[in-house]
Amino acid sequence: MADLFQIAAGNLLSPVVLFFALGVAAAYAQSDLTIPEPISKALSLYLMLAIGFKGGVALAASGIDSMVVVALTLAIGLSLLLPVIAFSLLRVVTSLDSRNAAAIAAHYGSVSIVTFVAASSFLEHRQVQYEGFLVAMLAVMETPAIITGLLLARRGLNETASDQKSVFSPQVLRQVFLCGSVVLLVGSFMIGWTTGDSGMQIMAPLVKDPFQAVLAIFLLDMGLLVGKRLGDFGQVGKQLVLFGIYMPLIGAAIGMAAATAIGLSVGGITLVAVLAASASYIVVPAAMRLSLPQANPAIYVTLSLAVTFPFNLAFGIPLYHAIASLIGPA
Amino acid sequence: MQLYQKKRIEFVVEASCAPTILEMIEEAGAKGYTILHDVSGKGNRGVRDDAHLTDVFRNVLIVVIVAEELAHSIVSKSQPLLENYAGIVTMSDVDVVRDEHF
Repeated sequence: MADLFQIAAGNLLSPVVLFFALGVAAAYAQSDLTIPEPISKALSLYLMLAIGFKGGVALAASGIDSMVVVALTLAIGLSLLLPVIAFSLLRVVTSLDSRNAAAIAAHYGSVSIVTFVAASSFLEHRQVQYEGFLVAMLAVMETPAIITGLLLARRGLNETASDQKSVFSPQVLRQVFLCGSVVLLVGSFMIGWTTGDSGMQIMAPLVKDPFQAVLAIFLLDMGLLVGKRLGDFGQVGKQLVLFGIYMPLIGAAIGMAAATAIGLSVGGITLVAVLAASASYIVVPAAMRLSLPQANPAIYVTLSLAVTFPFNLAFGIPLYHAIASLIGPA
Repeated sequence: MQLYQKKRIEFVVEASCAPTILEMIEEAGAKGYTILHDVSGKGNRGVRDDAHLTDVFRNVLIVVIVAEELAHSIVSKSQPLLENYAGIVTMSDVDVVRDEHF
């Protein structure tokens, strides 16, 4: 127990979390501090490239076995299933209409890449290993939740023909499957997997050493974004803010149980918990805005970006890791 | 110098619905358009700014210059497309120099 407390305190006082807090505070106080958008974009591209490449190299080292297939199937299953749980909870516990509930549910089945990156950095800092294919799980979990979310939104609605058409339009499909960050993540993973250790020798100065520091700077920018969204809390309401905290715990519990069942390492269980707990704020909002325009983006983006993301970053990651250490293989 | 009277339509719309509007403009028969990315301001959907990461709170400005008849058709076709989105549509008179371009 003392251990858990120590890990949690250590995480709260890490540069990553503190820079995030600085960003939130600065934006909330209406400071004019900003990170120019092209730089912020470059930082995020760097993080995708580094995490993808490292995962690919790790997979090349461990080789492919049946575990990879099982894990990827599990990832798709989680992404499809979690929105159903989120949707049912929202409909029972809150007074939200079914469109908004479905839009939010889709976010919680999908994942936050930055939360995953922060968790992997947390593990690396503590020299905890994790399976290379976790990055592939991250990539495949991004989209199935959108399908579940849209199907949930369709149920019980007597839609017009134009609604029917727009749900899975080519524009939505392109946005979902060819989203820049996903393309770079998967592409770098493939390159890391193909080039293995010799590739890593070339890329290491870029993808290994500066990784944690770049993440901290990126988190400053995330903090600035979150700080700006705090004004929307009124629209979100107390019930939903609470949902943004207990839903990740439910997702993490399911993720950990499943990851333990298929025999992942402690690092792997931690990361699956993080994947199941995190909510999307890039790919899913864009898809929902096109396919489900009646749902209010101020609610779903604020919930995933300003409630669940900080919660996972500050408290979720160390908590999931502590539990994974207890239940995982020694 | 000879000038030609045209209509100039301005759309301030949510970035995520801009492709739909542009497609409609081209289908309607306009020969071109101009886009200004990342415009910000305040309206009935609150403050719209250049939030990074997501396009959801981002606006763009689309400018189309066409003959009057086509302008009315474009404006009326835009209304159903903008039903659930942030959008300001205005039309004004302009004089252009090169008639054949519009």
